[in-house]
Amino acid sequence: MEGVLGDFITVLRKAGVRISISESLDAVNAAQIMGYDNRRRLKEALSASLAKSHAEKKIFDSCFDSFFSFNFFQSPKKANAHHPEAYGEALKDPLAALVLKDDKGQLAALMTEAGRMANVSSIKNPMQKSLFTMKILNQMGMPGMEAMVGQIKNSTGSGLSQQTAELLEKGRDDLLQTVKEYVEQQLQLNADGVDSKDQFLKTTPLSQIELRHFHRMDGLIQKLIRQLEDRHSRRLKTANRGKLDYKKTLRKSVSYGGFLFAPLWKKKKENRPDVIVICDISRSVLRTVRFLMLFIYGLNKRIGKIHTFIFYSNMIDASYIFDRYSIEEALSKITTDPSLPIIRGKSDYNTMFTNFRDHHLHLVTKNTTVVILGDARNNFNPPRAEVLKAIGERCKRLIWLNPETKPFWGTGDSEIKTYAPYCHLLQECNTLVHLERVVGKLLSAKR
Amino acid sequence: MDWKADKFSSVEQVMDGMKAAHYICDSQVATTVYLACNLEKPVLVEGPAGVGKTELAKVVAEYLEAPLIRIQCYEGLDESKALYEWKYGKQLLYTQLLKDKLDTIMHKEDKLADSIEKLHQYDDIFFSPHFLEPRPLLKALEQPDGVVLLIDEIDKADEEFEAFLLEVLSDFQVSIPEIGTIKAVRKPVVFLTSNNARELSEALKRRCLHLYIPFPSAALEREVIKTRLPQIGEKLRKQLVAFIQAVRTLDIRKPPSISETIDWARVLLLMHAESLNRELVGKTLNVILKHEEDIRVAEEKLISLTAEALKADDGMTGE
Repeated sequence: MEGVLGDFITVLRKAGVRISISESLDAVNAAQIMGYDNRRRLKEALSASLAKSHAEKKIFDSCFDSFFSFNFFQSPKKANAHHPEAYGEALKDPLAALVLKDDKGQLAALMTEAGRMANVSSIKNPMQKSLFTMKILNQMGMPGMEAMVGQIKNSTGSGLSQQTAELLEKGRDDLLQTVKEYVEQQLQLNADGVDSKDQFLKTTPLSQIELRHFHRMDGLIQKLIRQLEDRHSRRLKTANRGKLDYKKTLRKSVSYGGFLFAPLWKKKKENRPDVIVICDISRSVLRTVRFLMLFIYGLNKRIGKIHTFIFYSNMIDASYIFDRYSIEEALSKITTDPSLPIIRGKSDYNTMFTNFRDHHLHLVTKNTTVVILGDARNNFNPPRAEVLKAIGERCKRLIWLNPETKPFWGTGDSEIKTYAPYCHLLQECNTLVHLERVVGKLLSAKR
Repeated sequence: MDWKADKFSSVEQVMDGMKAAHYICDSQVATTVYLACNLEKPVLVEGPAGVGKTELAKVVAEYLEAPLIRIQCYEGLDESKALYEWKYGKQLLYTQLLKDKLDTIMHKEDKLADSIEKLHQYDDIFFSPHFLEPRPLLKALEQPDGVVLLIDEIDKADEEFEAFLLEVLSDFQVSIPEIGTIKAVRKPVVFLTSNNARELSEALKRRCLHLYIPFPSAALEREVIKTRLPQIGEKLRKQLVAFIQAVRTLDIRKPPSISETIDWARVLLLMHAESLNRELVGKTLNVILKHEEDIRVAEEKLISLTAEALKADDGMTGE
């Protein structure tokens, strides 16, 4: 039975419940204490040792119900009012004997065991269904039973043995149906695992991700954001000790008769970076913009101030859009809203840089991280690298994210090589993994 | 084999025992408590405020006839308040008192090195168990007859404290640098409660069994009221539970918990109410709802809510 429990745990893991080895050991112990005879008790015991949050309890409940649903072989079969003594030969084949005796419990056990031998839990897609059905039936001893049926039929015996053959054929069809259902259920349980798909989405170029995956991507981003938050909030706490707090220490020492027993420390101020994001929203970059923005605005607890500029042929300050609307609405606004004063012609880094220098350079302070997202395809306008240099000198960090893959850098009208020397960090950024790495760096205080 | 073995031979026994202590629970709660005692694992209890998480620990203590040691967690709680502290005052006092004694010990040795050598023979006396002030956690481990340890509202404590608890929770021991490792004389039954103010760490969750106590079903809640306030009439009991259950489905900030249901039942009893009516409910709404806007939301729907509650009673008696 431990094997079955192991399978169940695998199913839970695939459904998104995090289960460690020690927890599975707990589950095994719990199941031993509880026994397997009371379904409800077993469920409660496993729930206590495996599902560790309200959300996980819900997943657990549905998984348990479908995994341990032994509805198989429960179909009301007509009572076998035949004469057992007439089965004769047929009982020699173990499977045939079970079918004739109509021993549902044994049959179910045999089927699950055969399923385990055939490794049915590794089933991934519907194409494999018939293969696994075959394997399980073979494992259960179907060929032997088939042979038996043929033998009885050919023996031209009495009417009774013909009846037995019919009964066996009927039983075989039922069995086939049941195994098919079982495999189908295993497919449902095992194939909708999230892991593999997530991994795939993480490393696919953002520009190639289809719209229908956006929903899943957003979930993924939320997950990554939580991880990043965890990591960074913790780092700040451990580095919390600042200078000696003389006043507090003296006050505390009064209770020890003036001995300075317990030194107390001033707390360091939490260091949250201000971020200025400058995004190219030309078509080639737009997808990456979307996901970067989801990240940055998702992390606004860890980030002090966010200024967002978007540019195409000209540049506008888009911070107010993000402040006023939800992130989803804001994103659709900057991509499609015709009322925005932005000219969607050719991307122009010249105008962007001059505009930024003239109107917004004062925003850049020594606490600011400037993130520029763009492919640096300037349509042969002057590159204005001196403005970038000025920004880089004023700010704490200057990060340039380029959605183009490295071999294309500097080809044609790409000016990225001109800009490169002035950036503290220049990175190719076109998958979710890249993005996560960049945002992680954004949050860590050092350059 | 264990001090609690005879009280935990089956889930039904636990359930009856808790019922005898006036705590009505569903079988999930009983199963988890039963498992916790048999697997010797802590239980992490989560759920909305006021569903009886803390009460559970108290009742288990009562059932086991063991003392309950409780730590109320708050931000800034650290090991000196939860585990142990050196009795600095006593240490100082003793050093003062023993000054003369020290002089006589040192008396004959006139060289500094010799004095130090001599002192080394007595080195650890000031950091021995005599000068240790045990705080709740250490106390719980030292009890010879076993205890129930309740770590209340763990989510209010800092993450550091959570990490520090891990040793206690998994091995039932603590390490004190100056003395060494202290193991539990008898493994206590440990309950941790959380209101989900923040997500607890995986490491902590891994070491505990997990129990989620939701708002009770109507039947369970009626049972609770019946046990706690047997004087209250059957009719009123059904009505008030139906009313509370309906209020919980409204869109409000803080849905009423069991403790509030009990309070309300008490109030209604004091007012000698036989049955709910709109006026009565309107006057006592502030017992179950603690936010101005919640009360306003409920008042708007008061007529239909009361009517529903009265109908629920009819339906039930008709069955």
